[in-house]
Amino acid sequence: MEQFIYYLKVSLISIRRAPLPYALTIFILSVGLGVFFANATFYYQLNSDPLPEKSDKLFFPMLNLVPYECSTDCRTPRVLSYSNVEKLSQTDIPSQAAAMYSADGYLRQRADQTPLPVSIRITQRDFFAMFDVPVLHGSIWPDNSARPEVILTKATAQKLFGKSDVVGEKLLLDDRNVTVSAVLDDWQMLPRLYDANNRNHLSEADDIYLPLETGYDMNYLSNSQSQTFDDTDYRQLSTQGRTGALHQLQYWVKLDTPAQQQAYRQFMTNLVQDEKAAGRHPSPPNNQLVAMRDIVSYFGGDSSDIKAFALVTLLFLLVCLFNASHLSLNRYLSNQYEFSLRRALGASRSQLQLQMLADVLIMALFTITGALLTGYGGIKLMNNLLPANRLFSDWDLTLLLGLLTVAVICSYLVTLYPSLRASFGSLNQQLKE
Amino acid sequence: MITLTNLSKIFRTELIETHALRDISLQINEGEFAALTGPSGSGKSTLLNILGTLEQFDDGDYQLDGKSVKGLSDAALSKLRNEKIGFIFQSFNLIKDFSIYDNIELPLRYRGLKPAQRKQRIEQALELVGLHARRSYLPSQLSGGQQQRVAIARAIAGQPRILLADEPTGNLDSLMARQVMELLEQINQQGCTILMVTHDPDQARRAGRHIQIIDGQLSDAVLYDPLAAQSA
Amino acid sequence: MSFYLLFKVLFSRKVVTGLLLLQLAMTLALLLNSILLAKQTHQQLNQPTGLDVDNTLLVQLKPTMASLRVYPALEELLNRQLDAVQAMPGVIAAAYTNQSAILQGGNNGNVYIDGEEDRTNQPSVPMYFVSKDFFNVLNSDVLQGELPQHSVSLDNPVQPDVVITKSLADKLFAGKPAVGQQLNRGRVAAVISDFYGQRHGTNIMFNNIQVAPPYSVDWGYGILLRVQPGQAENVRQQVDKVLRNVEPNIEILHVRTLAEQYQRLYRNEYGLATLLALLSALMLLVTMVSSYSSTHFHALKRQQEIGVKRALGASKKVIFLELLSENWLCTAIGALFGIGCALLLNKALSQVITIPPLDLYLPLLASLILLVCVTVATWYPAAIATRISPATATKAL
Repeated sequence: MEQFIYYLKVSLISIRRAPLPYALTIFILSVGLGVFFANATFYYQLNSDPLPEKSDKLFFPMLNLVPYECSTDCRTPRVLSYSNVEKLSQTDIPSQAAAMYSADGYLRQRADQTPLPVSIRITQRDFFAMFDVPVLHGSIWPDNSARPEVILTKATAQKLFGKSDVVGEKLLLDDRNVTVSAVLDDWQMLPRLYDANNRNHLSEADDIYLPLETGYDMNYLSNSQSQTFDDTDYRQLSTQGRTGALHQLQYWVKLDTPAQQQAYRQFMTNLVQDEKAAGRHPSPPNNQLVAMRDIVSYFGGDSSDIKAFALVTLLFLLVCLFNASHLSLNRYLSNQYEFSLRRALGASRSQLQLQMLADVLIMALFTITGALLTGYGGIKLMNNLLPANRLFSDWDLTLLLGLLTVAVICSYLVTLYPSLRASFGSLNQQLKE
Repeated sequence: MITLTNLSKIFRTELIETHALRDISLQINEGEFAALTGPSGSGKSTLLNILGTLEQFDDGDYQLDGKSVKGLSDAALSKLRNEKIGFIFQSFNLIKDFSIYDNIELPLRYRGLKPAQRKQRIEQALELVGLHARRSYLPSQLSGGQQQRVAIARAIAGQPRILLADEPTGNLDSLMARQVMELLEQINQQGCTILMVTHDPDQARRAGRHIQIIDGQLSDAVLYDPLAAQSA
Repeated sequence: MSFYLLFKVLFSRKVVTGLLLLQLAMTLALLLNSILLAKQTHQQLNQPTGLDVDNTLLVQLKPTMASLRVYPALEELLNRQLDAVQAMPGVIAAAYTNQSAILQGGNNGNVYIDGEEDRTNQPSVPMYFVSKDFFNVLNSDVLQGELPQHSVSLDNPVQPDVVITKSLADKLFAGKPAVGQQLNRGRVAAVISDFYGQRHGTNIMFNNIQVAPPYSVDWGYGILLRVQPGQAENVRQQVDKVLRNVEPNIEILHVRTLAEQYQRLYRNEYGLATLLALLSALMLLVTMVSSYSSTHFHALKRQQEIGVKRALGASKKVIFLELLSENWLCTAIGALFGIGCALLLNKALSQVITIPPLDLYLPLLASLILLVCVTVATWYPAAIATRISPATATKAL
């Protein structure tokens, strides 16, 4: 230990001897790593799997079940109609299934209060089990039938009542009476893969939850995407909306085994055949069963800006690494004489390598500090410039450890080659020079 | 050829002034082979540097080929060095990663000679020092004596009026040293003026003229009989 | 100084030169592509919108009471709000609309000539339901026909007449008169000058407008105001209060000039271009540091050599130029590689974002920038190197 402290001391002395090149090395390495860190954070968070044990078991089925015959654009609509979902639900192959969409509304306790604008997820019972949503108080709706009952998030409950245990309380949702049936614990699924259409997976979780049937009864239109392919009047959601080609639903099914998945695919094929036979499916079949882990790229919602930037920051890191090793090579070359002298005085190569290790340690320490500062600044800047990705800028432990490892490896690389050059060069020549 | 009139050089630091050279007057004539001796710190290197226009002086005058070098610009001094002065250093000072040929070519390039002219002069110089066969070697592949001969070839390739040699044999063993001395004498006989700093009294004796410098001042310059020097 | 010797010097330091070249190449590649992207964003941000974006304000709002979102209460509210904002000082004209111009996407549908759906169908055309002053607010030129003067309900047995923009009319009717023709959305009453509708539409200038109360305001609605030049800020500050005086049960989602709306629409592109530009600047800085340090250390290591050269007759200027030209040569080679790398990076980037291909003069410009930076960075250490005393340097053992 005492020996290692000595090595650290020697390192510091050699830094003091030529502070400018050392500072430049640290600067360049910090900037390169910092920029890389900032982008890696977004890249990691945006591509993280919020439900790793389930994301290959949850599927979004889509059918070309529309009243028109497609001519050029035969892509399957990204949203389903109420009747599409009804037909897709007529099987017990999935262990769980939930249709959903989102809308905006106003919530208050009494008509004379200022309303609280809320985003509403209008969905079915299985939603909560499917996406591991934690319930704090009360219980989830027992079935999928219409009921004037809302489920609040903890934050919404706190905002409205100042407390979270508000099960049974009455509320006005857009001036209609509803009762609180449950309050959710803090929950944020990032990215929000159940709603990946229109890059909505980048948004925060919704404030309240309303049964799908009630949503249709209350005539809530989707605030994300609703399309009509016939003359359905979208003001008549509870009647025409349930039968016409008004598409606004996303639908998730849980298919636990490959056999189930195969069976469900077959079910979709049969369904389309039946519909075609009944004359309700004029377009050629184009069934899709997209797994949750593929849904973002299926909808073309990959964060291309972050990807592009990832490519570029990686290049930048490389350049900085080259540059830093160049700088530190220069530094070592100017210290070469001393290195040779040490070897002439009897220092073994392994002792010199320990000296190198001390150098790496000190460099890593400075670099990590610099890189974290730059990275933090970079993230703030990126949040400002690309606000859509704002929710994906947090450092968690895994990420932080990964980043630190990268920083240490980089410091090691930057020190390794130059010190090898310095310690394994021809002793004789260096002393004579 | 070279005329120094009351030349002085003072080194100044914050605390002290050192008179490196005091009031030196010296005349070196065309074709002379002069040896400059003196103890360490006597000012002989300073004198050589001033003669080579590598260093400035404070007082007096230095005329090379009848023209004063005082107040010349860096470009003019460089041109002067390039065209009229050849240097031979104790530590050879060859450029490590240049071949022998490239080393000799360097001053000729600075002069802006055409490739054919350069080639001719380099060939001549290599012939003279007997290293024609090693033209594409790197300096590190040659012995010390050979390296110094390359340095001499580099110095004379530009056909200078005067050759300044700073202990040219200082880093060589006696056999090599003798070869180098013979080479210098040969060059001198071809008409090139040589001023050589040396420690070796034998070498000083072999030169046509012996100039001694002590404490920045010239002592009596003893003129040897050139015939006697040759027979020694 | 001959190229031959320069190359020799460069390649005697293989590793260092290699690193420097690689870095120069990458810097140039990045620099080139950021310039491209910045240029593209600049063009996007400056494309014509057909609108006086600085003097048009958009108030996006929504009634918070369900009863205010159904007719006839809604129409009455809309008219009261219009009257109030119309009376504001600085306001030239005001209109309500189901959606603003300059949007990513919104309320849109297909438009075709009745009976010719297969041939003339245009999908994703923005549908505007507006009050009659809408055209006045947008300062539209009427190119054909006459603007509808009365609001007609969409539930009317006869659909309200439509006004379409010139690009859409040209597309549908190919130069033939459009007025009086029957579209699936209604009879064409007028053709107006183009304005920027929705970015996701088939064509940003396609727009279909009907003077009718909005079908539904579940997504809120907009009040568009044309203000006198320089009055946008004043009106913006007052409008909240004025609207709340009319009806307190509203949520004002935002008040923006169309210029701000436009900025927001291209915010991602702008952000990415800014980030890349910053990164390029950093990269240039890093390159400068490396040019600086390589010259500095190189000169330091070659003190003796420089001294010898000085003794052999190289003037300070020659030494200075030698050091600079070493870096210039390095930059030139690096730039050459860099253009290759830039092409590769351009290809890679075009897989994930829209980026125009490289043209001819940009590589030259970028190389020039690189050269200037390298020269600036090399200047000081090279100047220092010329001060090496030949007398001392040649003495060094």
